[in-house]
Amino acid sequence: MMNMPQQRKEMKYMDNSKMLLGIYDNPDLTLDATKNLIAQGYDVHDVYTPFAVHNLDRVLGVKRTRLSIAAFLFAMTGLTSAILLQTYASYFDWPMNVGGKPNLHIPTYIPITFELSILFTAFGMVGCFFIVNRMFWGRNTDIMDLRVTDDRFVIAVNIHEGQTDVSELSSLFVKGGALEVREREKDI
Amino acid sequence: MSYESPIREPLVTGGKTYADVTRDILRPMENKASKAWWIGFVISAIVLGIWIIASTYTFLTGLGVWGLNKTVGWAFDITNFVFWVGIGHAGTLISAVLLLFRQKWRMSINRSAEAMTIFAVICAASFILSHMGRPWVAYWPIPLPNAFGTLWVNFNSPLVWDVFAISTYFSVSLVFWYIGLIPDIATTRDRATGLRKVIYNFFSMGWNGSTRTWHRYEMISLILAGISTPLVLSVHSIVSMDFATSLVPGWHTTIFPPYFVAGAIFSGFGMVLTLLVVGRVVLKQEDYITMGHLDAMCRIVMLTGTMVGLAYITEFFVAAYSGVEYEQYAFLNRAFGPYWWSYWIMMSCNLIAPQVFWTKWARSTPWFIFLMSIIVNIGMWFERFVIIVTSLHRDFLPSSWSMYTPTITEFAILFGSFGLFFTLYFLFCRYLPTINMAEVKSILPTHHDNHDVHHATEGYDEHATTKKGDEIHG
Repeated sequence: MMNMPQQRKEMKYMDNSKMLLGIYDNPDLTLDATKNLIAQGYDVHDVYTPFAVHNLDRVLGVKRTRLSIAAFLFAMTGLTSAILLQTYASYFDWPMNVGGKPNLHIPTYIPITFELSILFTAFGMVGCFFIVNRMFWGRNTDIMDLRVTDDRFVIAVNIHEGQTDVSELSSLFVKGGALEVREREKDI
Repeated sequence: MSYESPIREPLVTGGKTYADVTRDILRPMENKASKAWWIGFVISAIVLGIWIIASTYTFLTGLGVWGLNKTVGWAFDITNFVFWVGIGHAGTLISAVLLLFRQKWRMSINRSAEAMTIFAVICAASFILSHMGRPWVAYWPIPLPNAFGTLWVNFNSPLVWDVFAISTYFSVSLVFWYIGLIPDIATTRDRATGLRKVIYNFFSMGWNGSTRTWHRYEMISLILAGISTPLVLSVHSIVSMDFATSLVPGWHTTIFPPYFVAGAIFSGFGMVLTLLVVGRVVLKQEDYITMGHLDAMCRIVMLTGTMVGLAYITEFFVAAYSGVEYEQYAFLNRAFGPYWWSYWIMMSCNLIAPQVFWTKWARSTPWFIFLMSIIVNIGMWFERFVIIVTSLHRDFLPSSWSMYTPTITEFAILFGSFGLFFTLYFLFCRYLPTINMAEVKSILPTHHDNHDVHHATEGYDEHATTKKGDEIHG
């Protein structure tokens, strides 16, 4: 058994081509089991769930995503391009006299500036989301368990040859309420 | 994963498990199409055919086939456009605004409401195209440099703002909808075989349910909701500015933006009710879209109906108080002029009729809710007709006063647009999960087995747990 965080860190660089999966049917049990496994020093690879389980990301130590920062930057890009486009087109490039109204009239630029900020934010942020998750149309995925998109919760723990006590790990899984424990190749 | 107080009505009834949710929601997609679906789809497709014929006839012949004249240059086209855009707004309101307010009852209706948004905006866009008369030059409002001489579009024009607003609204709604669909498409993929599996696999983008992905997913859903909320308010505000920035009495009104937004939500919920009161029975989803949902939506209909009613009365007051003769005449002409009947249809359908929802009986009787939803739709269509036609038909110069009478082609296009809408909606019901399964699963109580450690330690009512648990097992 390894309890020290340093040891866990070192393990990541060693052979870990296999994983042990604990399959649960209850999000509360999954959350508790994950907490327990991490406290015991196991290298929890990821937890796969049919819906977003509250707090599981924090338990796993997932760092807060920076997608919100990306969204803000895209919003600013949209805002800037909208202002530049409108100012350039209606003041610098070709001022039009429409009923004697001013050509550089900032209040009338607000609606389009607002809309373009939203448009850039949505598309830019969602694009980044797909990139960081490596999601794209037509991608095949080797899913942990077919029912993980239905009603099963899978905790995947990396097995480190010679360091992870598989039998103890699987008994921990079962003690935590797992319905099924099985080993699989890691292919990610 | 969700704690529900035992004294609250559960959001999903029938003691469903996660697997039940998947099975129930996917049933209409995984089995052969039912007779009801075929009947509905074929009727919608025939009506869509009418739309295609009438639109084609308009484009081949010209806008002269409509009843427009020198004085009334906008009538059915823009009425229908505003009507359909307004209907779209409920979808975004349910999915975005109610997400920000953490209203969990939204979860079983947001998917179909968002689908409705997208299809309604498609219908609305078709009227923008057709009112131009020459749809092949529909790209002219897009600011293209030097394509036509050296002219740019006029950025001071609300019509140009509208082009940006509607296209942003459509594309952002589509993205929001698709993001919400991805986990459910993955669920469908993992139960499908053959060609279906290939197609759903393609669109699932390799979704695997990883916690890291869910973490980012929650973040972008929240931000999309955050930006969609002001977006939906801005879209109908800008639509209202098409009128409000003009000098036409009856249009030149500062309360137009909030008044239009309230009206849009009102009509949108009317349409959501039309679809869901029927859909929940046909698709056997009564346990997900419960009477509680219908009740909540009826309350929103009543609230927003009263808001637009207040706006109608405020317009009158402001016209009287302003002392502007033109303004005063425009409103008297609305209520008592030649189009008085359309004004009073609007008043009775939008302000008076929804007041029945003060009674519990009205909010809990599905056939009556359905009837009311139709009345709301009719009322809101007439609201736009009243605003557009009655304001235009008697302008500043009495010699150019005229009446507007729609032609059969215009009726056919209006009628046919419902065919377009319902054809798309029926296809959606057949090929995509109509309820957001991943979200609904997250609000199911987790204490259907005896491992409910969390709630026991957090002071959960022991007796209530047992009682509820027993019901579920039984």
